[in-house]
Amino acid sequence: MIEAIILWLGLLVFVSPKDPAPGLLHSKNEARNLECERLSVEEASRAHPGDVAPPGPRGDYYARSALVCTERLVRPGLRDARDEAILSTLDARSSELAAAADALRPELQGATWLVETYYPDPQVAAKIGFATKNALVFQGLRVSDRTPLLGAGDVQVITRMTPSDAYAAACRRYADNGSLGPDDVLLGVVSLDPRETALHAGLCQQGTWTWLR
Amino acid sequence: MLLLAATTGCIHVYQPMAGFHGPVVVDPQARNFGDLSLTVVCERGDLLTAAEARTLCQHVGTLFEQQGAVVTTTTSESGAGEFEFEEPAVPGEEEAPPPATDLTLELTSRELHKANDPVSWVLFFISATVVPAVTETSFAVDVTIKDESGFVLVADSLQGRLVRRMGVGAWGTNFLLDSFLREDADRITGDAAHQDLSDDLYGQLGQLLFNAKMQWQVLSQAAAAPSLPGAPP
Repeated sequence: MIEAIILWLGLLVFVSPKDPAPGLLHSKNEARNLECERLSVEEASRAHPGDVAPPGPRGDYYARSALVCTERLVRPGLRDARDEAILSTLDARSSELAAAADALRPELQGATWLVETYYPDPQVAAKIGFATKNALVFQGLRVSDRTPLLGAGDVQVITRMTPSDAYAAACRRYADNGSLGPDDVLLGVVSLDPRETALHAGLCQQGTWTWLR
Repeated sequence: MLLLAATTGCIHVYQPMAGFHGPVVVDPQARNFGDLSLTVVCERGDLLTAAEARTLCQHVGTLFEQQGAVVTTTTSESGAGEFEFEEPAVPGEEEAPPPATDLTLELTSRELHKANDPVSWVLFFISATVVPAVTETSFAVDVTIKDESGFVLVADSLQGRLVRRMGVGAWGTNFLLDSFLREDADRITGDAAHQDLSDDLYGQLGQLLFNAKMQWQVLSQAAAAPSLPGAPP
């Protein structure tokens, strides 16, 4: 009986088409660890020439397409969900923020750009900051690694404010204490709520804070 | 008779392709959208009939009402732009104006790809349904969230596929595996595909709406705040 079941399973595995969907060969978790896209045979054969045969010179006998899947770098559940949401799309997010800052304030192209990240996890905050600086450099802007500073008294007062007031107050203090000069612009990258998986951006220039997105 | 009996055994398997299985932080049991006025628009089109679009809207509406939002649901023909408002009903008024809304959530579904593998059907019949016949549909759910002025706050496309494997081989083997080997969360027979798809869809909609709400609040603050020195008007 057991031999028959093993033979049965072996036959099924052998004759079943390769498919990343959950089934005999893949669990649901394995399938969820993949990012997939549907490509035409032409696109797929150009991108994966060894795996997908190009269409014949007179076309195929039946309509074909390819499902191309790539495994995620970090398996689901390894990182905190919010961190994972931010970090897995960090390149696109930081480029988007830098492009928005540059496009909305074209007159600031000659300024020196500083980046400050407001995110609860310091390691993730450092990665967001680094990616945003890179994206600003890619936009052709002059970027500084300098971090604007607040006095201990300022920090005590500002941390008791609501977020909407705190960023504006911090911006005023940066200008007042000389941390941000007249030619400096601070791009603040902010996560406002622990339940959101998006990042916001604001600009601080000459003591005035403005939300960009 | 054997073939007829065997073909009735089929399983549907759902696989998220992109967007559906992104991380979700929002807790659907919490009051995430207190006092938010939301309009949910479900377009009937390739994949949804009018009745299915209405059912989807009702489910999504209930999801967000449970999280504190005041929800109005509508269905529209794909691309027609004509909305049919369904709730809340206003007794005695046949042509009520569209209710004021903070955010509008638009849901459109479309078919990306449909395949019916002819080789698997040949093997299916030769093997007396031991080898499964496979059909699959890839689909996308386009989600757009706008504010009251029509400004797009969030736009995303969730993509997934539904695979149908037919025959006594696929059904019997998976039934045995589900019964004796797989854990509850890994089972794929029964209604698991629809349940998993619903869980993913509602989870992502909650997350996208929360992100849109935060974006809307930030842009409202930006509109109210004084502009930066030297900024263009």
